[in-house]
Amino acid sequence: MKRILVACGNGIATSTVVAIKIREKCEDNGVSVSVTQCKLLEVESKVDDYDLLVTTGKYAGGTVKIPVVGAISLLTGYGEEETLEEILNYVK
Amino acid sequence: MQIIYNVFNTIMAAGAVVMLPIIITIIGLIFGVKLSKAFRSGLIIGIGFAGINLVINLMKSNLGPAAQAMVKNFGIKLDILDVGWGAIAAVTWSSPIIAILIFCILATNIIMLVLKATDTLDVDIWNYHHMAIVGIMVYFVTKSIPLGIAATVVMAIITFKLSDWTAPLVEEYFGIPGVSLPTMSALSSIIIAAPLNWLLDRIPGINKIDFEMKDAKKYLGFFGEPMIMGLILGCGIGVLAKYPVSQILALGVNMAAVMILIPKMTSLFMEGLMPISEAAKKFTKEKFKGRKFLIGLDAAVVVGNPDVITTSLIVIPLTILLAAVLPGNRVLPFADLAVVTFRVALVVALTRGNLFKNIIMGLICTGAILLAGTATAPILTELATSVGLNLSTDGSLISSFAATSLTVSFLVYKAFVSNLFISMPILVVVIGGTWIFMSKVTQKRNEILAKKAVNSELIQ
Repeated sequence: MKRILVACGNGIATSTVVAIKIREKCEDNGVSVSVTQCKLLEVESKVDDYDLLVTTGKYAGGTVKIPVVGAISLLTGYGEEETLEEILNYVK
Repeated sequence: MQIIYNVFNTIMAAGAVVMLPIIITIIGLIFGVKLSKAFRSGLIIGIGFAGINLVINLMKSNLGPAAQAMVKNFGIKLDILDVGWGAIAAVTWSSPIIAILIFCILATNIIMLVLKATDTLDVDIWNYHHMAIVGIMVYFVTKSIPLGIAATVVMAIITFKLSDWTAPLVEEYFGIPGVSLPTMSALSSIIIAAPLNWLLDRIPGINKIDFEMKDAKKYLGFFGEPMIMGLILGCGIGVLAKYPVSQILALGVNMAAVMILIPKMTSLFMEGLMPISEAAKKFTKEKFKGRKFLIGLDAAVVVGNPDVITTSLIVIPLTILLAAVLPGNRVLPFADLAVVTFRVALVVALTRGNLFKNIIMGLICTGAILLAGTATAPILTELATSVGLNLSTDGSLISSFAATSLTVSFLVYKAFVSNLFISMPILVVVIGGTWIFMSKVTQKRNEILAKKAVNSELIQ
C-alpha cells in the first residue's frame, strides 16, 4: 500500500477536500492507499515516511526526494480528472 | 403552532450538537444534495462540534488556571485565551441564523457577478464563516436579524472586492493565475499593509533596507510545528505560573495535545461541508457558463511560499513578546499562532518578499488583531457560551486571531453596533471611496499592461 501525504496551509481546509477526492478516486480504481494530511510547514519533518507528496498551491520550499503533485485543479474544478489520473499513476 | 414552537424550543435547548446536523441537512437539501448524504454531512459536523468542545475544555481546564497564576506572579495580564479560529468557526456554524446568512452571502456573490461588480466566484462555503460571524455578533448584540444580515452582506462585498484587487498579487507573486482568495483571515491584513507599504517606501533610508535570513528555518523551524510549539509554550507558561516541575511538564504535553487535536476536530467540519461546497460549485458553474472568473479559493493555497514561511517563523515569537508588552492587550496568543502564515501571506506578496517590511507590517497586523481580540472577547465569550461551548466555569474569556479580531471584521462589527446615523455614512464613504480609487488603479494598471504588450509586439 502506497502512502500519500497531502499538505496545505493549515492541514485542515483544502487538504481535506483533496484527501477525500484522492481516496474516492483510488477506491473507484481498486487501489488501496493511506492518505495523511498535514500543514505545509510540517512537510520536511514528515515527508520521509511517504511515497507521494500532494500539495494544494505551489510548494517551493525544501528538498523533497519523493514525487510531488500540485493539486490546485482539485479545488478549482478545472483539469481535475487529469490531476487525479496523475496521482493514480504514481500509486498504482 | 404550539407544536412547532415546542419542537423548535426542544431543539434549541439541546444546543449546537443537535442544531448543527439539522441546519446542515436543510442547507444540503436546498443545494440539491441527497437526503442521506446531507444528513451524514450534518452528523459529521455535529460530531466535529462535540470534539471541539472536548478539546476546548481540555485547554481551558489546563491553561486557564496557569494564565491566572501568571497574572498573579508577574502581572502579565494575559487572561483571555486564544482558543483558535476553528472553535470560533464552530460557534459560527451553530448559530440559529447561519442558514439565512449562507444564502445571503451566496446571493450577494451571484448578484455582484451578474452586475459585473466582481470577478470572484466564491463557492468556498467553508470560508463563509468569516463573513457570517460578523452578522451573528451584530445579531447577538442588537437582536435584529436585518442588521445581522446587513453586516454579513457588507462583509461579503468587502471580501469579494478585496479578493478582486489582490488577485494580481496572487498571480504575479505566488504564480497562481485565475484565482483569488476570498479568505478574510488573509485579506484583512491588506487594509493595514497597503497604506503602510506606501508610507515605508517614501521614507528615505528605510525604503532601502532589506535583509535575508536563510537560517530562519533551521533555528525557528519548531515554531512551524504545532506540537513542538504547544509543548514549549505550555512549559513556558507553567514556569511563569511557578508550577512544580511535574505540573509544568503535564501542561506542556496537554498543550501539545490541544495544538494537534483542534485541527483534527476542525477538519471534521470541512469534511461535512464538502458535499455542499461541491454542489454549490456545480450549480454556479452551470449558471455562468462561458464567463471568465477568478475562482475563489482558501488562502491555504499560497501559504506554502518560502518567504511567507520565513516571515511567519519570525513574526510568531515576536507576536508572543508583543502580546506581553502591548498596552491594553489581554489576549494570550496560543492556538492561532499556528495560522499566522495566513495573516502575513498577502503582506509578503505586497512587499515582493522584503523581509524587513514584512516583519514590521506583520507585527503591526498581529498587534491590531490582539487589540481587537481583547475588545470583542466579552461578547464572543457570551455568544460561544450561548450555543453550548462550556466556558463559563470561572468567568475567564476566550478570543482568537479570527472572527472580529480581524481588522476589517472588527471595523464592520463596530460600525453596526454603534450609532448607525453616524457610522453608516462613514462606512459607505470609506467603502465607496476605496472602490473608486481602486478601479482607477486597476484601469491604469491595465493600460500599462496593454502598452507593454503592444511594445513587445513591435520589438518582435
